Amino acid sequence: MIYKIPLISVVDDDESVRESLPDLIRELGFSAEAFSSAEEFLESESLRSTDCLILDIAMPGMTGPDLQQELKRRREEIPIVFITARIDEADRPRLLENGAIDCLFKPFSEHDLLRAVNAALRTS
Amino acid sequence: MESKAVTDGRLDENVAEGRSHADSLFRQIVESIPVPVAVTTPEGEVEALNRPTLEYFGKTFEELKGWKSSDVVHPDDLQDTIAAQMAAHETGGAYNVESRHLRADGQYRWFNVLGLPLRDGQGNILRWFHLQIDIDDQKRAEEALLANERGLSEIINTIPALAWSARTDGSAEFFNQHYLEYLGLSADEAKDWGWTTAIHPEDLDRLSEDWRSIMASGKPGESEARLRRHDGKYRWFLFRANPLRDESGKVSKWYGVNTDIEDRKRGEIERKLAIDSLQANQGLLDLAQKSAGAMAFDWYIQEEINVWSSEQEALFGLAPGTFDGTYDTWKSMIYAPDWATAVVRAIQHAQQTGEVDAEYRVVWPDGSLHWLATKGRMFFDNEGKPFRMVGFTSDVTRRKLAEVRLSGEKHLLEMVASGRSLFDVLSELCTYVEGIATECHCSINLVDMNGPKIRRPIAPTMPSTYTDPLLDLPLYSDSGPCGMAAHQKKQVIVEDMENDPMWRSTEYRSLALDHGVRACWSTPIYSRAGNVLATFVILQDKPATPSALQQDLISQVTHIASIAIERAEAEGALKRSEAFLAEGQNLARIGNFSWRVDTGEIVWSDQLYRIFEFEIGTKITLELIGTRVHPDDMTLLYDMAERAGRGVSDYEYEHRLLMADGSVKHLHMMAHIAGSQPGRIEYIGAVQDVTQRRFSEEALNQARSELAHAARAMSLGVLTASIAHEVSQPLSGIITNASTCGRMLDADPPNIDGARETVRRTIRDGNRASEVIKRLRSLFGKKDFTAESVDLNEAAQEVIELTKSELRRSEVILQTEFARDLPAVNGDRVQLQQVILNLLLNAADAMSSVDDRPRQMTVQTGSDVNGLVNFSVTDQGVGFVSDEAEKLFDAFYTTKKSGMGIGLSVSRSIIEGHKGRLWAESNQGNGAVFSFSIPAADGPTALPASSVVLDKSRGSYDI
Repeated sequence: MIYKIPLISVVDDDESVRESLPDLIRELGFSAEAFSSAEEFLESESLRSTDCLILDIAMPGMTGPDLQQELKRRREEIPIVFITARIDEADRPRLLENGAIDCLFKPFSEHDLLRAVNAALRTS
Repeated sequence: MESKAVTDGRLDENVAEGRSHADSLFRQIVESIPVPVAVTTPEGEVEALNRPTLEYFGKTFEELKGWKSSDVVHPDDLQDTIAAQMAAHETGGAYNVESRHLRADGQYRWFNVLGLPLRDGQGNILRWFHLQIDIDDQKRAEEALLANERGLSEIINTIPALAWSARTDGSAEFFNQHYLEYLGLSADEAKDWGWTTAIHPEDLDRLSEDWRSIMASGKPGESEARLRRHDGKYRWFLFRANPLRDESGKVSKWYGVNTDIEDRKRGEIERKLAIDSLQANQGLLDLAQKSAGAMAFDWYIQEEINVWSSEQEALFGLAPGTFDGTYDTWKSMIYAPDWATAVVRAIQHAQQTGEVDAEYRVVWPDGSLHWLATKGRMFFDNEGKPFRMVGFTSDVTRRKLAEVRLSGEKHLLEMVASGRSLFDVLSELCTYVEGIATECHCSINLVDMNGPKIRRPIAPTMPSTYTDPLLDLPLYSDSGPCGMAAHQKKQVIVEDMENDPMWRSTEYRSLALDHGVRACWSTPIYSRAGNVLATFVILQDKPATPSALQQDLISQVTHIASIAIERAEAEGALKRSEAFLAEGQNLARIGNFSWRVDTGEIVWSDQLYRIFEFEIGTKITLELIGTRVHPDDMTLLYDMAERAGRGVSDYEYEHRLLMADGSVKHLHMMAHIAGSQPGRIEYIGAVQDVTQRRFSEEALNQARSELAHAARAMSLGVLTASIAHEVSQPLSGIITNASTCGRMLDADPPNIDGARETVRRTIRDGNRASEVIKRLRSLFGKKDFTAESVDLNEAAQEVIELTKSELRRSEVILQTEFARDLPAVNGDRVQLQQVILNLLLNAADAMSSVDDRPRQMTVQTGSDVNGLVNFSVTDQGVGFVSDEAEKLFDAFYTTKKSGMGIGLSVSRSIIEGHKGRLWAESNQGNGAVFSFSIPAADGPTALPASSVVLDKSRGSYDI
């Protein structure tokens, strides 16, 4: 069996996140790809090979939770870690209920990120 | 050198020895020639002169030898003669020259000098032989002929007529100089048919036709046409052509002359017009007589033959045909006082000029006076006595009366205008009427309709026993003619008081009858508003009704009386209102001034002295005013003086006074230029002490500012989530990048390039976070009003940036329609942004419960032709009912569950503080539109350039 480096996909409309987060993830030893919208991710080939999805909640067009629902409908069981810049934690329980691994509030630490990703990879 | 003289017929001995017989023979021949002859040697020396020569010149041989240096040959001809001789000597040929020679009597005569060489057998020239033939007479004849020819040509060219000649085919051959100059054409341009271009287009066909028939007839003929002069003006000409025949009688040429007949032509036209106008005049005369009532007469005074028309007789009140035509009868009819003045003067004037022009009165047989005007001519016999007068007479009675009335009216109005007392004016008015409508008494009763009663009876020619009882006499409709006239607002005519049953039981009847009054006509006098001010009464001692003339007079008099009474009342009112004004100024702390800028004269009202705390009556100068003006505001005083010096139409300032006790007064001053005469600038102005108002305003502004800050702080609460989002994003980037950076540096080998890139991103995200903080600080951090130039597009965009995530969270679709080239506005950026923020949050809030349609919000900016900059927010929310629209802006009115209801109220006060307007409308379909508009910084509705706007926060003034 050949060891496959897990692929972590990042979906966020904020360009600075798409620049910085994949770099950090790669430094942590994973491979990483970034997408600017849920729609872009759904159409990409990485959809099948993604081992963990780091997903922004608020995005123009399809939102993070919308994508979660869509994946569920397609029976694509990709573990999801939500990230959000909001301070309102009201959405968190519902997201976890729907199968999300974690919901990180920006700004989050490297440690929190690694913990959530590892947790996600363990489920897949 | 040898030379021989033949002066005495004896030859010199030396010559006799050296010459042959031939010489002797030659000399005899020469001597015998009857015309002057000179003989010269081949070298040119004079050898011999015959007797005719010596006799002609009257000089000796010796004298004539030196002819070249004397004046025997005319100086003008000398050079030619010598030259001809020298040329002949050189060539050896003959010569012939014409020259003038001086005769013994001092006359020059023309000679033809023929020079011939005399040769020997070998052909050598022995001598020259000069034959002089007198050609003077012939020469003079030639010159005369030449002069004649020249003269003829000059004559042709200078005759004022235009002369020409033409060939037999009609084409022109020659034009005299005058003709060419007249046309402004050269000979080449005019020749052949070129001259036809100068013929008036309307005349050309006819002229050509005439010219052809003249040529066909071969006889002299003429035609008329207009010729265009060199300056483009056409004048009428008569073209006259004469044939020139050769010996066989055939026409060989045509000669012609054109003569200017413009004046004759014009004369024809004028004559026709004159005849027409004469006929018209006759008609007009008849018409004028009939319509003007001016009657013609023709009176042979000495013969006593008078052609007076019956109309003329009627003017003198005579029956047709009854005037006997005598001078005495005529004189007897003229009103005696006018005879002495007007008529005699007119006759004297007529004796000097022949013109009769008189206005005079005639006495009709019934005794009435009538004004007549006579205009005409008087003719005098050889002894200077008038024998005939013709002219017109017309009745000018109405005009004369009108003149009298006009001058009376003028006099009365002058009395009114010059401020004479009402009593004087009305008394004069009564006297005036009594003077025109004789045998009557007039009275004017001033009434008080609140009584109602007569408040003042005026009747200058009635005794006090009549007027006294009228004072305070109650006025009722049935109390007397005046009461009825005043109550019913109509003229009341009592023809005969004694026999009119209507007044039988009234107090007034006995009063009137006691004073001999029979007829009583009372006319109400109205104010312009239609109220009865007085009654005008004419009293007569016999029963009568007013004539048309009297009615005219009544309406004139009541009109003047109305003006006089109203003016008197207005003056009273003015005096009262001046007193009110003074009191009002005192209460309102307003003082007035006038300022003659050109003379420096300043006049202050008492109140203004009180405001400035100067002693009333102190002479006011700009320097004195300067001692009170607050030092910080002195520049305003200078500025005002400068503007006033330029004569600006209006100015307005707010400035402070620093009083002696250190207290400060705030003044608001406005001035307007009064009239405009060259070299005179005068301002009338008002100054109000607004100290109390300024203190209240400042307190109000303070409160408003606090409230605005509170409102902003509340908005901040709403925006907390949004702001957190805006700050969290870059913070997240910073932490992520810093973590990455740390890892890259820890790697072996360290990834320096990667680390550098993450540091760059860290800095960028740090800046982004600090931008957010700056925006927050600018919006929430301060509260003082600061005026600056604000681009509403930019200000709105900043607010949108802050609220973007909040709007997104509220699922609002934001659309912006910002006008390009939006003019800047003057105002407080933060306050305006607060209004924008408030409107955006309200709109988002209004759509929070909307699920059946997109939550669309449109933010628009624009400007209009009135120089207003507009901002509006349109939402698709719940909207409001129309009668709520104004309540929305009331403080503490709210439709929301949370919120104090001060947002819109504060927003409106902010916009009004910017001289703008904030309003709400229902959106077509759903929701609402909230808009505000404020003047552009340089728009036409911005304050006029000459006014000064107070900038409240800085205590300074922007112009």
